Amino acid sequence: MAGNAVTTPVGGSPVDAYLAEIARLLRGPRRKRARILTELRDDLQQAADDRIGSGVPPLRAEQQATTAFGQPRTVAAAFAGELAIAYARRAAATYIVTGPLVGIWWLLLLQPRPWWTGAAALLAAIPVLPAVGAVVATAAATLASTGTLIRWLPETQPRRALTATTVIVALTAAADVTIIATYTGSQPTWPPLAILAVSASLTRTACGIATMRHAAVLRIAAAGHRPRRHTVRDDARGM
Amino acid sequence: MLPMRSELLKGHLDTLLLAVLAAGPRHGYAVIDALRTDTAGAFDLPTGTVYPALHRLERAGLIDSDWQTVQGRRRRSYRLTPSGHAALGEQRAVWEQFSAAIAAVLGRQTWPATP
Repeated sequence: MAGNAVTTPVGGSPVDAYLAEIARLLRGPRRKRARILTELRDDLQQAADDRIGSGVPPLRAEQQATTAFGQPRTVAAAFAGELAIAYARRAAATYIVTGPLVGIWWLLLLQPRPWWTGAAALLAAIPVLPAVGAVVATAAATLASTGTLIRWLPETQPRRALTATTVIVALTAAADVTIIATYTGSQPTWPPLAILAVSASLTRTACGIATMRHAAVLRIAAAGHRPRRHTVRDDARGM
Repeated sequence: MLPMRSELLKGHLDTLLLAVLAAGPRHGYAVIDALRTDTAGAFDLPTGTVYPALHRLERAGLIDSDWQTVQGRRRRSYRLTPSGHAALGEQRAVWEQFSAAIAAVLGRQTWPATP
């Protein structure tokens, strides 16, 4: 196996240098990255301790342990897919959970009066509803095809999950901009409710731009991830 | 031992990981170490690249994990879930059928073989 490419500073710990290099290469949700590094640290230390127990000097034991773990670039690339999926799942869940916090103001502002006039009237009053439906459907499909259902369903691959994230953000931003433009074009004065609704939509759009940027970075990181187009159970079936 | 392509093992990694965890909860390094020992060194993937496979199995609900503190260090321990046990049983049956079929062909025997 090739030696790892980490240069350990004189007197420094090879494990620390190795993990610092992996930390530098990992992209994705901060908490998930921290858990990965904590897990790797304990196991690297254990691998080194096992070698020390069989008589290898401590520094050499740490070097051997990091070498057996693989080059930092290889290990970080192996994690890229899981980190991308974690990000896509978090984004999908966030949009589903926070959607009503924005939508409620627009609903209160634009609801047809009386509100029970029917679906057609509601659609006429809030024409972006089909886009909202598409966002919810895409987010739900992303969550379903990257969670426990992958035992039975074809699994969504990391890059496709990130594409779904981009679609969710773009559709939501388009709906937000459309509804703001429609409203401001038809109303000369804004009641407080309108200010709340527009602020909520603008905040979400700003957050969406950051999400798009993160998804683009993760897409590059996941580009080296080998796709696996099968369910977990197919490992046995496909043999 | 004859050389074995690592891609071949990698294709069955999920099943192998489930099989190792069927013996009881283990932390990641212990799982990979057991895999290396049980396959008499044929399993030579870099240790660090096996963790994402464990995380994916957890995402699929076939294993779960918890954190313990051992000798002052935070350690993540994995165990098979009931779904994991069921999936392993299914995969084991499929593997036995498959390997019997391949053995029959490679050994130039008629197949299906009668028990």
